[in-house]
Amino acid sequence: MTTPLDLTPGRRPDGTALLTVAGEIDMSNTAALADAVTAALRGTAGLLVLDLTAVDYLDSAGLAVLFDHAERIEVITGPLLAPVLTISGLTGLVTVHNTEPKKPHTT
Amino acid sequence: MTPASDDGREPTAAPDVFAADESVGRDLRLVDWSATPLGPPAGWPQSLRTAVSILLSSRFSMWMAWGPQLTFFCNDAYRRDTLGQKYPWALGRPAGEVWAEIWDDIGPRINSVLSVGESTWDEALLLFLKRSGYPEETYHTFSYSPLRDDDGRVVGMLCVVSEDTERIIGERRMATLRDLGSDPSVVRTEEEILAFAGDQLGRNPQDLPFTVTYLFGDDERAHLAGTTGISPQHPAVPATLTVGDPAGVWPTAAPARGESVLVNLDGAPFTGLPAGGWPQPPTRALVVPLPRQGGTPYGFLVAALNRYRPLDEGYRGFVELVAGHVAAGIASARSYQAQQRRAEELAELDRAKTAFFSNISHEFRTPLTLIMGPVEELRRRLTDADERTREELEAIGRNGLRLSNLVNSLLDFVRIEADRMQARYEPVDLAAVTAELASVFRSAFDRAGLAFEVDCPSLDKPVYLDRGMWEKVILNLLSNALKFTFDGSVRVSVRPDDAHAVVTVEDTGVGVPAEEVSRLFERFHRVESARSRSNEGSGIGLALVKELVDLHGGTITARSTEGEGTAFTICLPFGAAHLPAESPAWATGSAAVSTTADPYLQEALRWLPADDAGAPVTDPAEGTRSPSASPVRVLIADDNTDMREYLSRLLTDAGYRVQAVNDGQAALESALAAAPDLVISDVMMPRLDGLSLVGALRADPRTASVPVLLLSARAGQEASIEGLRAGADDYLVKPFSAAELLARVRTKVELARLRGHHARWRTALLESLQEAFFVCDETGAVIEINAAFTEILGYGVDGLPYRPVFPWWPDPAIDPEAHRQAADAFAAMLDRRQGTYTVPATHRDGHRLWISVNGNQAQDPDTGRRVVVGTFRDVTAEHYFIQRESALAALSTRLSRASSQTDALIGALAELKDLWRARRVLAALFSQGDEPTLTSTDLSLSWHDLPAQHRHALGDLRHRPPLTPITDHTGAGIVLDHPDGPLTLWIELGDLRPFTSEDELLLALLAGHLAQGLARAHQIDQQRETAIALQRAILGPSRLPDGFAVRYEPATRPLEVGGDWYDIVDLPDGRIGIVVGDCVGHGLKSATVMGQLRSACRALLLQDSKPAQTLMALDHFAAQLPHAIHTTVFCGVLDPATGHLTYSSAGHPPGILAHPDGGHHLLEGGRSLPLAVRPGRIRPEAEHTIPARGTLLLYTDGLVERRKRPLDVGIDQAGEVVQEGRGLSLDELATRIMTRMAPAGGYDDDVALLLYRHPAPLRMAFPAESSQLAPVRQALRTWLAQCRLPVLTQQSVLIAAGEACANAIEHGHRDTPGDTVRLHAEVLVDDLWLTVADTGSWKTPQPRPDSNRGHGTDLMRAMMQRVTITSSPEGTTVDMHTRIADDHPA
Repeated sequence: MTTPLDLTPGRRPDGTALLTVAGEIDMSNTAALADAVTAALRGTAGLLVLDLTAVDYLDSAGLAVLFDHAERIEVITGPLLAPVLTISGLTGLVTVHNTEPKKPHTT
Repeated sequence: MTPASDDGREPTAAPDVFAADESVGRDLRLVDWSATPLGPPAGWPQSLRTAVSILLSSRFSMWMAWGPQLTFFCNDAYRRDTLGQKYPWALGRPAGEVWAEIWDDIGPRINSVLSVGESTWDEALLLFLKRSGYPEETYHTFSYSPLRDDDGRVVGMLCVVSEDTERIIGERRMATLRDLGSDPSVVRTEEEILAFAGDQLGRNPQDLPFTVTYLFGDDERAHLAGTTGISPQHPAVPATLTVGDPAGVWPTAAPARGESVLVNLDGAPFTGLPAGGWPQPPTRALVVPLPRQGGTPYGFLVAALNRYRPLDEGYRGFVELVAGHVAAGIASARSYQAQQRRAEELAELDRAKTAFFSNISHEFRTPLTLIMGPVEELRRRLTDADERTREELEAIGRNGLRLSNLVNSLLDFVRIEADRMQARYEPVDLAAVTAELASVFRSAFDRAGLAFEVDCPSLDKPVYLDRGMWEKVILNLLSNALKFTFDGSVRVSVRPDDAHAVVTVEDTGVGVPAEEVSRLFERFHRVESARSRSNEGSGIGLALVKELVDLHGGTITARSTEGEGTAFTICLPFGAAHLPAESPAWATGSAAVSTTADPYLQEALRWLPADDAGAPVTDPAEGTRSPSASPVRVLIADDNTDMREYLSRLLTDAGYRVQAVNDGQAALESALAAAPDLVISDVMMPRLDGLSLVGALRADPRTASVPVLLLSARAGQEASIEGLRAGADDYLVKPFSAAELLARVRTKVELARLRGHHARWRTALLESLQEAFFVCDETGAVIEINAAFTEILGYGVDGLPYRPVFPWWPDPAIDPEAHRQAADAFAAMLDRRQGTYTVPATHRDGHRLWISVNGNQAQDPDTGRRVVVGTFRDVTAEHYFIQRESALAALSTRLSRASSQTDALIGALAELKDLWRARRVLAALFSQGDEPTLTSTDLSLSWHDLPAQHRHALGDLRHRPPLTPITDHTGAGIVLDHPDGPLTLWIELGDLRPFTSEDELLLALLAGHLAQGLARAHQIDQQRETAIALQRAILGPSRLPDGFAVRYEPATRPLEVGGDWYDIVDLPDGRIGIVVGDCVGHGLKSATVMGQLRSACRALLLQDSKPAQTLMALDHFAAQLPHAIHTTVFCGVLDPATGHLTYSSAGHPPGILAHPDGGHHLLEGGRSLPLAVRPGRIRPEAEHTIPARGTLLLYTDGLVERRKRPLDVGIDQAGEVVQEGRGLSLDELATRIMTRMAPAGGYDDDVALLLYRHPAPLRMAFPAESSQLAPVRQALRTWLAQCRLPVLTQQSVLIAAGEACANAIEHGHRDTPGDTVRLHAEVLVDDLWLTVADTGSWKTPQPRPDSNRGHGTDLMRAMMQRVTITSSPEGTTVDMHTRIADDHPA
């Protein structure tokens, strides 16, 4: 059993490839994430925008997927993940867009 | 047997009957009900269905029986607690079959319920249940109540039961251990110890059906030392066993190594074993060593085991504690034996000392005898010698007698004071003995011209007397009467009076003034004003008489009227009942009046004129005796040469030796150089006139009593008064006749001679006194002393006068306290008329001594000035004896109050420090190695703070023989046996303080005493640990839910179990019941009440999770239970998810809630009366939500209640301690509270304490699979939210924990997936701790080619403030910590 993860491929209004991810990313489901990213990249020659705004949790296994494709992705994220992306050094390799939180995670 | 469903039929019951409990319900459904008298459940009456459903829904342990065969039902709690292996077989069977083994006990009870329809109640009934495959000793408190069918007929019964087995057995074992420790005597022999232990063990034949004790000897054998419950003649009890012999009845090698062995008791020699308190003999025995501190065990104890109980940890622990007690007793006895030997050596020393003193007394008498014998001989031989020689021999003889008389009297005193007067009482005819003694004095009375009447008719009962003492009494009284009676009569009479013989000695003498009568029996007190035949006398005669009469159990009183006479009355009891029982065997036979009488008579006769002198003497002053041959020296002072020569010639011709000077100054110098017998002085002279000369002569003690005759040309009354007032003895107006001058001179000289004679006698007397004698003048200067004074203090007459500050006062620089004592006593003596003071003094050679000073104010008869006359004795030995006794008493008191070894040692050191006024006292305990444990009166001192020299001294001491003091210039040390090893003591004295041999003796005694006290305290420590362990066994749950910490501390003294308890109950709905209560009183009784209330409260909470209702039900229960009234209880129900607490308090002190932001408040709501005071009254309930990271403290009043202090002061203090301990883990906090709140001497009431911190720590265990990550994260997220942490902190913790878990799964369990990973998270007020542990080993992360990319451990370190990873073959643990920042919580 893996941790549930919603992966929705799409296009941005400007035609850029988009992968919207919702849920929690940990070592149990990074394979699915990696597959989805690879598939999305296969369908585009340009950059892939990963929208992680609805991701509540991202661990080092998930980060490894992002690092693997660093040269072809951009990331959109909320304040919850921002520290992890900064600390891991991903922001040095990948353009990261910060947004306002979409939903409060806790009460 | 299996449940009756093997035919494979579907369950037939309507599902709702058994729906109340899933698991038991399932098994009940499987029963073939149609095979029972009850038939299929579908056909059961409503009453049965209701009963079954109530039964199943209850969480309290119950079973029921229904119908003609009493078909058996039970619920889940009963299955778990009682039924054991009989489940599910028992369901649906006849109750008589289910409980066949106890049917004899319970059958009659059930029948009575069924026939009479009334409930039964049994408390702690012993039942042998076969629920674990063997008959097991169990105790149950239960009630049977009738069950009725739809028509109201009794057709079944319901049993509600709670099991008390643990409690009953725990109490029984505790009672044995307590009794073992209850030996009130400190010291016993090994045999007595073993006999006492045997008595105690024999009183518990349940846990110890029989015991056998063996002690290892020096001969490689174990010797039988005691048995309980088994005859020493039984083949299983050989008298000796060879150590290591595998064929021996009992194993010996293992216990000799300190190991326990379990022995099966089958076959020979174990046939016919006694059964102890049980129907069947034991089948196993445990052989446990009797442990010796740091050595081979003393021996071993064979404890036969109760076959009806499993040998679990508790039972094994109990047997080992018993052995520990016995071993401690043996240790104490052996140590006592060693101390005893030492004490005997000390006593031998004391005997030698006593012998020394009595030898000295003999030394006194021997030379006296050797003087007296030859003198008597000389007197016989020299009857023809010249008169002068004979007179001198007479004088020697008389004074020899006097001196021996005095020595005897003084020795009598010494003996009486030392309690060593060995009286030999014999029954005598008091009248006859007294008359015989009186007759000795008849000749003296005759010669004095006094009537002497002896009126002593025989008494019909004997009086027990020591003849020697009685002679002294009567002779003293008679010589006293003779001395003070000048005419009339003296009368001695003996009369019976009820239980007494009354002896009266009555005279018609001068009598004494009324105010002096009461002081007649005071030592050294003399009635100065009395006219008497002699001024001689030590002033001890009547005092001795009184002491002697006291020794006979009698009384003496005096009655006197001045000028009329004195009567002394002695009352002596008849018979011997009043005399000490251990008096030497009654002597028999009566000797004639002993030689005691001789000196008394001789002395008395000397006061009387010689036979040929004729006329009776009426005044000693007129008793002229011919001038002796030695010439009288007269000093003449006159500035007129003619007058000087005239006087010189006149007096020289009259036989005087004359010295003449021409002024007062020259006369004074001459007189001071050598005092003349008389001074004749002119009044008018140059330099120093006659009146001033008189003044100067009187002012100096050397010349104060020299008579002065003034000559003056001035006539008239006034002039002579002036002269006499100045102190002149006579006054002659010029011109005077030669005859008149010579007459006056002769009178003065003779008077002075007489006075001089008295003075010489006085000196001789004083010098012969063993007591030191001194006279102080008005300024406090010491102007006269005797030889004993010099002997005792080392200061002689050559240094006179001595002025304060006296040189024998202790040096204020070295010993200010002693100096002050001496100075104060002296000031008091000068100030008051009389008194006795015991004060320190310093001998001229520097040694310290103690003297007992007796001072009296008096008037100098010569000068009329006020002086202080004093005597003192050297009481150094007595002082140290008393000091020793009181030091021992003080030490004993300290030791007996001490509640632990440490306490005992600290107390003892303080006592030693006070005693020697030492700078400090050190004690080093060498339990192992060279690094000892240091205890000091200076509490902050540690071993390493000590100067090397002290460390060496303390270290070297332990190689010396025990209890042998050593001293050097810095202090004194000693080594003694401590249960844990040698204990060396060092007393660091102040500068120059001498440590005398008396001090050494005292130190040895005290150290011996301390060693015993410590051994005993050691035992108490052990007992205390036992008591606490057992109390905890009776107390609350052994496993606590997370988030709680509890403590129980029994009262320090007496060592008692108490009535305080705590309890934590997991409720079915996931909430937690919290109870803290306090039954009145101490001891087993209140522990029993406590146990029952605790069980009841627990059961009630399980049934109905409402605190107020629970307490109201408990009110009714407590009202039925003796001694339960006034119990206070705090009862709460806590939701661990939200921190919401509902509570009610039955008169219990309020809970304290400490907030995470500082400050605390009290849970004061829901308060009402203690239990059972008003059963039936509605109790209030309050609620409160414990904030995240808040801490709740519940306690019993022992924690906060102190004498003379309002309760709220203690409660506030507890609140502060909780608040200060916010940063501690809960367990550390519990310890901190117990320590900080403890009064100096330990808790004097027992204390129960319960802490909860919200939220409880999170503890999870999950298989090492990646699918677990999400649920673990969810649980952690929920918990973090409960902690109310800032949201970013939550996220950081979540990521760090996630990485640690992922690592554990990925690396740790590559080879064995599915092993368990454990996560523990705990929040303190400002800190969060997180631990993830697995059982695998991590690979050191390989540096990845793109090392700038973040991986797990980097992230953990980034997210938490501290990360520690520990790897070992057993597994890897990640510890993480972060501070909780004070920003906005989510």
